[in-house]
Amino acid sequence: MELLRPSNLAELDGGLFVHGGTEVVPLLRDGILHAETLVDIRELVPRGIDGGRIGAGTTLAELEASPHIPGALREACRLAASPQLRNMGSLGGNLLQSTRCWYWRLKYPCRLHGGDRCHAAEGEHREHAIFANDFCASAHPSDVAAALLALDARVRTSRRELGLAELYRLPDEADRRTTTLEPGEVILEVEIPPAEASIYLKAMDRKRWSFPQVGVAAARTGGATRIALAGVAPVPWLLAGPEDLDGATPLPRTAWKVEVARALVRRALTEVT
Amino acid sequence: MARLIRTEKEVEGNFEEVWLVVEEDPLQQWPAGPLDVVGRPAVRKDARERVRGEARFTADIRLPGMLHAAVLRSPYAHARVKSIDLAPALGLPGVHGAVGPSEAPGLEHEAGYSGAPVAAVAAETFGQARAALDAIAIEWELLDAVLDPEEAVERGAVHGEAERYERGDFDRAVAEADVVVEGTYRTQVVLHNSMETHQSVCEWVDDRLDIYTSTQYVWGVRNEVARELGLAPDRVRVVCEYMGGGFGSKNSAGEYTFAAAELARRTGRPVRCALTRREENTAAGNRNATIQKLTAAASSDGTIVALGGEFVNALGWGGWSASTEGPLKILYACDNVRTVRHTAKINTPPMKAFRAPGFVEGTFGLECLIDQLARALDLDPLELRRKNYASSNDGTPFSSKNLRECYERAQKHWDRRDEVHARSDATWKRGVGMASQIWYGGGGPPSYAWTRVGSDGSIAVVTAMQDIGTGTRTAMAQIAAEEFGVPLERVEVTVGDTSRGPYATLSAGSSTTPSMGPAVRAAAADAKRQVLEIAAQRYDLEQRVLDIRNGRIVSADGNLSVALDEFLAILGNAQILGKGARGPNPTGMSVLTFGVHVVEAAVDVETGEVRVERVAAIHDVGRIINPLGAESQVEGGVIQGIGHTLSEARLMDQETGRILTTTLDAYRMPTIADVPEIVCEFIDEPDEHLTNLGSKGLGEPPIVPIAAAIANAIRDATGADVHELPISREEMLRALREAKERRGAPAAV
Amino acid sequence: MPELRLTVNGADHRLDAPIGTSLAHVLREELGLIGTKIACNEGHCGACTVQVDGAPVLSCITLAHAVDGDVTTIEGLRDHPLVEAFVRADAVQCGFCTPGQVVSAAALVAATPEPTTEEIRHAMAGNICRCGTYPKIEEAILHWRD
Repeated sequence: MELLRPSNLAELDGGLFVHGGTEVVPLLRDGILHAETLVDIRELVPRGIDGGRIGAGTTLAELEASPHIPGALREACRLAASPQLRNMGSLGGNLLQSTRCWYWRLKYPCRLHGGDRCHAAEGEHREHAIFANDFCASAHPSDVAAALLALDARVRTSRRELGLAELYRLPDEADRRTTTLEPGEVILEVEIPPAEASIYLKAMDRKRWSFPQVGVAAARTGGATRIALAGVAPVPWLLAGPEDLDGATPLPRTAWKVEVARALVRRALTEVT
Repeated sequence: MARLIRTEKEVEGNFEEVWLVVEEDPLQQWPAGPLDVVGRPAVRKDARERVRGEARFTADIRLPGMLHAAVLRSPYAHARVKSIDLAPALGLPGVHGAVGPSEAPGLEHEAGYSGAPVAAVAAETFGQARAALDAIAIEWELLDAVLDPEEAVERGAVHGEAERYERGDFDRAVAEADVVVEGTYRTQVVLHNSMETHQSVCEWVDDRLDIYTSTQYVWGVRNEVARELGLAPDRVRVVCEYMGGGFGSKNSAGEYTFAAAELARRTGRPVRCALTRREENTAAGNRNATIQKLTAAASSDGTIVALGGEFVNALGWGGWSASTEGPLKILYACDNVRTVRHTAKINTPPMKAFRAPGFVEGTFGLECLIDQLARALDLDPLELRRKNYASSNDGTPFSSKNLRECYERAQKHWDRRDEVHARSDATWKRGVGMASQIWYGGGGPPSYAWTRVGSDGSIAVVTAMQDIGTGTRTAMAQIAAEEFGVPLERVEVTVGDTSRGPYATLSAGSSTTPSMGPAVRAAAADAKRQVLEIAAQRYDLEQRVLDIRNGRIVSADGNLSVALDEFLAILGNAQILGKGARGPNPTGMSVLTFGVHVVEAAVDVETGEVRVERVAAIHDVGRIINPLGAESQVEGGVIQGIGHTLSEARLMDQETGRILTTTLDAYRMPTIADVPEIVCEFIDEPDEHLTNLGSKGLGEPPIVPIAAAIANAIRDATGADVHELPISREEMLRALREAKERRGAPAAV
Repeated sequence: MPELRLTVNGADHRLDAPIGTSLAHVLREELGLIGTKIACNEGHCGACTVQVDGAPVLSCITLAHAVDGDVTTIEGLRDHPLVEAFVRADAVQCGFCTPGQVVSAAALVAATPEPTTEEIRHAMAGNICRCGTYPKIEEAILHWRD
């Protein structure tokens, strides 16, 4: 294996990108990711906060400490992962993290791995999805993505600019990926429009260092309030309104998550409106 | 003089009738209360090296030429190796040896669970060893697997006959009772997760096998390995100086030790075999799940007239069936008791002892049911417990029991109920719950210690026990310093090597202090007596007027006062050697520990979040040697118990029997953010019948009552009955829904 | 093998290691700094915590070749007042997680010399202690300069 450290985007030519390494290094070791060439992209990706523009290389710890970003994003960073992981992990990397589904992490031949069944749907799925779970019941673990989705953030990559929602896709029979990022494409920056109020509420099974059982972000801009959820679908999940929760399709052991989501959405809306 | 007795020996609540050679224990107990050193807070003797990262754990042992082993494990819940070819692995780079099923104890052809060890490879690096496992050609024959414990009992897949117990006439008492309550409780599988995984480094030195291992019982490993390998016991040397946690899971040698020993023999090199975290959480033991169907009956005045329970211990492929019914049999005075315990043999990883096995699970069910009974009787739960106080263990007197005093001290915490309720709001409901604790912890013989006093004035205590992090070294040093009459810093304790000290008991079953402490005191007394004999000759005084106090030899009339180290210079190269042995336990008495927890909990009734806000833990474990270390034990037990109660669960795929929560993001132990206020109190009353110390063990008691106390606090706060551990949001919301339906339904007739 | 340059506790090291080698492995196996413990080896428990330019990170999932700051391990913090504070408070049971706890705590008190209980709990939540020494750790950090 080799490690490259390109200093400009033009030098990028394949390989597996690493920033903080908190996700890529364990997945490489587990044989879920494979690479002959690792590309350390830290010199390519902007780092820092400039008004509503945040370099994708900014660490979660830096965001957590910043008074200049919306409350929902700050809180999502503060409650994400562990202090050490927040020191290591970047904003861009956090958006691209994979599910915590134990079947996927233990390399069961599940649909996300290209197989023909969702082991969680028929097996242990108490932490899994309540929306869009008919093909794959995995839950997206990014607190930060839910916050940014509620904040209606846009993402600038090395090739294009897109709304945060467009960064994600539901896996299907033809394509098992959960993001739309193309090979060789790097997230460079996130831009957040001004919000008047925003909040992130997170249900965990311990007070810290827990992926979201249910994370609820709400942001108010003008008269409109956007609500987005973490931990409830294979991708970060936008709600048109609280009534969308009536359309949840929980698995036998995830019905409780709908109840938790209802309570947190209600609270979040009270806070921002 | 040594004496041979026939007695009952207890380890982790397991009893067996044995012949035991014991020595008499002529020392009188010290007076109750704090003394010069014993009973006073002491900083750990070995704290600094542990904090500074200098302590050498088994994980840090590096021997010249050492190879690393990896273990091949069954991917199937039940299967048999039809054929296996190690040769392809042996041909790979860095690989020096391989061992297959039946070639080392613990590696077997029949795999009874997913993760069962089958073979092992030793290579220059762990990565090479691991890669070589994939090259082993193996053909499996799949066998029928049973994963459901109730199905297993129905089908007769059990470990032995059901264990039945009855006293009085249970059926009649229930029929005639004024109030009868029933409940079904379930507890989950939880994992020890010692921070240092199970591991050994083995090296053959001529015909002697040196084993560096992370263990709670160096002598147990020595004897087990010697027996299995057909070696004379003294050809096996077991070393464990610092140990990264065990909690009951490291009482035996394990396949990793045998695989390392065999690979070391085959390769002529030292071999290390260390489990990964994922192997640790698959195959290194667990607290088994239980199902408990319980009945309690009482007369209207609150007298408990009958207690009954049908228990299933979901044991897994191996392990032993702990006494889940124990608390139900002995916690309360009750004439009519019936229990039956089935032990399901399912194709899941083997049980190992985990901090008060059986009693942790059984106390959850029993103490929740007792609260239910109190409600049915409209009695105060604390009052009901006091009213049914047991004055004997089914006729056998207790060596000491201060549970009533624990209840007295619990009262002020219990009296905070109104104040706690008043802090509830629309979503957060607050309540108070309690539960009693009963468990063993008396220890027993044999155990030995030596003392060595030299002309430099140092006092060395030598005993081949291990300090697994409980502070045993320090407690032993305190006991020796107290007996000898010197400050704590004058005593050094050497542990952890079977070739460098006499036999010492295992560090499990809350038995280390009560087993070892009396032996250490006796050894210190023996050396002190000899010092005073010499002093009497030197100063021409009668020995009976001499004593050592605070490091000085003094005479009763005050005319003589000489510093001990100054006097000891007289020894030159002579040494004073003392020895001490643990005397017998009192005959015809039941030696138990007692306690009460009062918990304040808050429940978010909309999201099912449970927060434990305050725990008052009051324990009666005889004399306290080191109040600081004792407090740490209680806090640790409470916190581990909170994890068992709220966030920890080992999950398994029901189709394949594979463990899903092998990593620490999925298996969630408490962090520092989850810790409530913990108030810790000790009765600190020596057990007058138990040894020269009157001390019992404390490692396990604090984890016993916490789950029930939390569940009872939740009931108090919300009216919801939780029946299952862990009390996840899912379980909490279910219980809240059920309570709401119950309130909405017409009143029961 | 690719060259690896590291500054650890103020000392510069040059060694060879394959790409993919973790910082924890290099510290323990190449430099003999065994105070850094490996307990999960996948970034979940905090036993392997070291500082890179003062920030606590998980050395078990840090690529040694990607380290671009000064590394401080427990060996570089042995004379830190926190060590005595941990000893006094009995903030150590088995001791396997403790070096990592001290490394995290040292970063906390460097940034926040008088942390509140809440700040301690937030900053220390990534260091798992199975023995449950947490109340004593909190006590040690609250009184680290006494």
